[in-house]
Amino acid sequence: MKKIETTIENLKKDIAAFYKPELQHFMVMNAVDLGEKIEVQWFFSNYAHPCETICFYALVSPETEIPSIRDIVESAWVAEAELVDLMNIKVENTQKGFVLEPDFESGPLRKKK
Amino acid sequence: MNLASYRKKSPWILHYNAGGCNGCDIEILACLSPKYDIERFGMINTGNPKQSDILLVTGPVTKRSRERLVEIYAQMPEPKVVIACGACASTGGVFRGMYNCEGGIDQYIPVDVYVCGCGTRPEQIIDGVVQALGILETKTKELEESVRLKKETVKEGKQINRRNIADQVKPAMI
Amino acid sequence: MGRQYEIPIGAQHISLLEPLHFKFTTENEKIVKTDANVYYVHRGIEQACCSKFKFRQVSFVVGRVCGLCSISHTTAYSQVAEKLLKIEIPLRAKYLRMLVIELDRIHSHLLCLSHVAENSGFEALFMKTMQYREFSMELLEAVCGNRIQYDFSIVGGVARDLKPQVAQSIMERLKKFVPQLDELMDIYKNNWTLSLKNKGAGAITKEDAMRLNVVGPFARAAGLAVDVRNETEDLLPWKEVGFEMVTETTGDVYARNIVRLRELYVSIRIIENIINGLPESALITETKAFPDGEATVRLEAPRGELFYYAKGNKTQVLERLKIKAPTFSNVAAMTEAFTGNEYGSAPAIIASYDPCLSCTAR
Repeated sequence: MKKIETTIENLKKDIAAFYKPELQHFMVMNAVDLGEKIEVQWFFSNYAHPCETICFYALVSPETEIPSIRDIVESAWVAEAELVDLMNIKVENTQKGFVLEPDFESGPLRKKK
Repeated sequence: MNLASYRKKSPWILHYNAGGCNGCDIEILACLSPKYDIERFGMINTGNPKQSDILLVTGPVTKRSRERLVEIYAQMPEPKVVIACGACASTGGVFRGMYNCEGGIDQYIPVDVYVCGCGTRPEQIIDGVVQALGILETKTKELEESVRLKKETVKEGKQINRRNIADQVKPAMI
Repeated sequence: MGRQYEIPIGAQHISLLEPLHFKFTTENEKIVKTDANVYYVHRGIEQACCSKFKFRQVSFVVGRVCGLCSISHTTAYSQVAEKLLKIEIPLRAKYLRMLVIELDRIHSHLLCLSHVAENSGFEALFMKTMQYREFSMELLEAVCGNRIQYDFSIVGGVARDLKPQVAQSIMERLKKFVPQLDELMDIYKNNWTLSLKNKGAGAITKEDAMRLNVVGPFARAAGLAVDVRNETEDLLPWKEVGFEMVTETTGDVYARNIVRLRELYVSIRIIENIINGLPESALITETKAFPDGEATVRLEAPRGELFYYAKGNKTQVLERLKIKAPTFSNVAAMTEAFTGNEYGSAPAIIASYDPCLSCTAR
C-alpha cells in the first residue's frame, strides 16, 4: 500500500490529476478516528499487473466539510453517503440517512469521549 | 373432518430476511430444490403475505427492517405460524448487542417454532416446518392475540427497543 | 412523452432473496430512473469488530457478514491480520484456502444462475440448477464440517486438514459434474425462451463499467478484464494453479450467465490442480504477537473484489476494520443499468447482478 498525503484544499486537484477511468479503479473511502483529528482515506487500485493499492489521505477536524469527488469519480457517492452516517462527518452535497435510520444517533464508529 | 385439518395439507410459505447473513436464506432455497423438496408437504414459496400461512424469518431484526417485519406479519391472514430460522433469528446470535440490531424476532412478533443452528441445516428447517404444521392445526383466533406486541419501550443502555412498534399498525391487524 | 409512474419493488418480494428496495420511475413500461435503498441489513459489524471482539475472534464474526461468501471474508480478514502480525502462513494452508474459495465459487455461481432462471420465469431450470448445485454443498460439508458458515480460515492458517478420502471424493464428484455443467451451458446459451428475457437486458458498456468502477462478473461480462486473481499473487498463488481470465463483450444478462458458467470450468480446473499438487507442510503458524500498523488486502470473492483495511494498536482489539464488499462497488452501476429496459425484465436483471446486500450493508 502506497500512502500519499494530501490536504482538503488540494484533494480534488490531486485526485483529478491521478485518476484515469481506464487505468485506475476507485475502491472505497474510509475514515479513522485518531482522537482530535479524523484521517479520511481514498483507496485506489489499478488494472495493471502487478497491482498496487494507492491511498490518498487527509487529516481533518470533525467539523470540516470534505469536498465531494463525485464529479471526478462518479461512483463515489455510495462511499460518501455511507461515511457521512457512520463517522458523522460532513461531505459536500451529501445528506444523512442513507445507512442509518433518522432517529438513530449518528457516528457509531467515532470514538466515545 | 373440520377445516383445521385441511389447512395443513397446503401451507404456503413466506420468507423474509430481517437482516441475516443469507446463509439461512439459501438453505431455505435449498429446501425448495429437488434434493430436500418440501413441496411434498404441499408447500410453495409465495411472495405474497396475503396468501401465506407460514412465515419463515431469518436474521436478527435490524432497525430498518423492523417495521417491514411487523407489517408483513400483520398482513398475513389467520391462522398463521411464525418460524425463526437460525441462531440470530432466535436470540440475536453473534449480532446480539450490535448497535443496529435487536436480539431476535420474538421481540416484535410471536414465534411458534425456533430452529437452531448457524447456519441451519435444511433437515432442521424441514423438521421445524413440520412441527409448525401441527401448531397450525391447533391455532384459533384467541391464540393469535399476542402479549408481546403490547410491550412498552424498553431502554437498555443507549439502545431503545421499540417493542411498542405494533401499536401503530394495530388497526391493520384487526 | 408519456406519463411517468413510480413503481417500487421490495423490501419483501418474491424475486428478492434479501431486503432491497428499488424505486423505478417508468414511462410506458420503460424504466427511466432508479433509486436504490440497500442498507436494510446494516448490523454494525465493523464497530463490534473494533470494540467487542478480540482480533482472533473477529475472523469468525466477519464470516457472518455474508453466508454466501463467508470463506472469502474469513480468508481476507485472516490475511490482513497476518499482515499486521507480520507472519507468513504455511504453503499447504494457502492451497487449502484456495480450494475452499473455489468450491464456494461453484455453489455461489450456480445459486445465482438458478435465481436468474427463476426470475426469468423458467422454474424447471431453477430446479435443475439447484439439483446440480447440491454436490458442492456436500463437498463443502465434507471439507469444512458445515454446509454454510465454514470458519475454515483462521488467523495464521486453516482450521482443518483435507483428508485423502475427501480429496478423492472431490475428484470423483467433479468428474460427474462436468457433463452436467455442459448441459447447463447448452441450456443457458441456446434456449430460445430464456434468450428472450436475457439477451440485451440490463446491458452496460465497457466504458460505463470503467467509469462506474464495476467489479466481478458484472464487469467481466462487459469486457472489462478485472479480477484480483489476475492482479496480485503475493498472498495466494492463483496463476500457479491455472487461473485464467474469462470475459464476454455484450454486458447483458446473457453475458453474465455465460461468464459465470465459463468461470465454473476454470474453478473445476483450479480445484483439480490444487488436489493433484497439494504440498505437505504444517497447517498453522503460531505467534504471540499483537497486531500493529496498517494493512490492506484484496481478494476475489464470487461477486468481485473484496477489500479489507485494518489498523492495529498493539492490543487484542483492533483500532479500525473496514470491509468493502463487491456489491458495494456495483451499487452505482446497478441503478444505471436498468435505464431503458422494460419493467417486466427488472427481476431477472436484479438477479443477474447477484447482489449481496448483507455484504454491502454489514
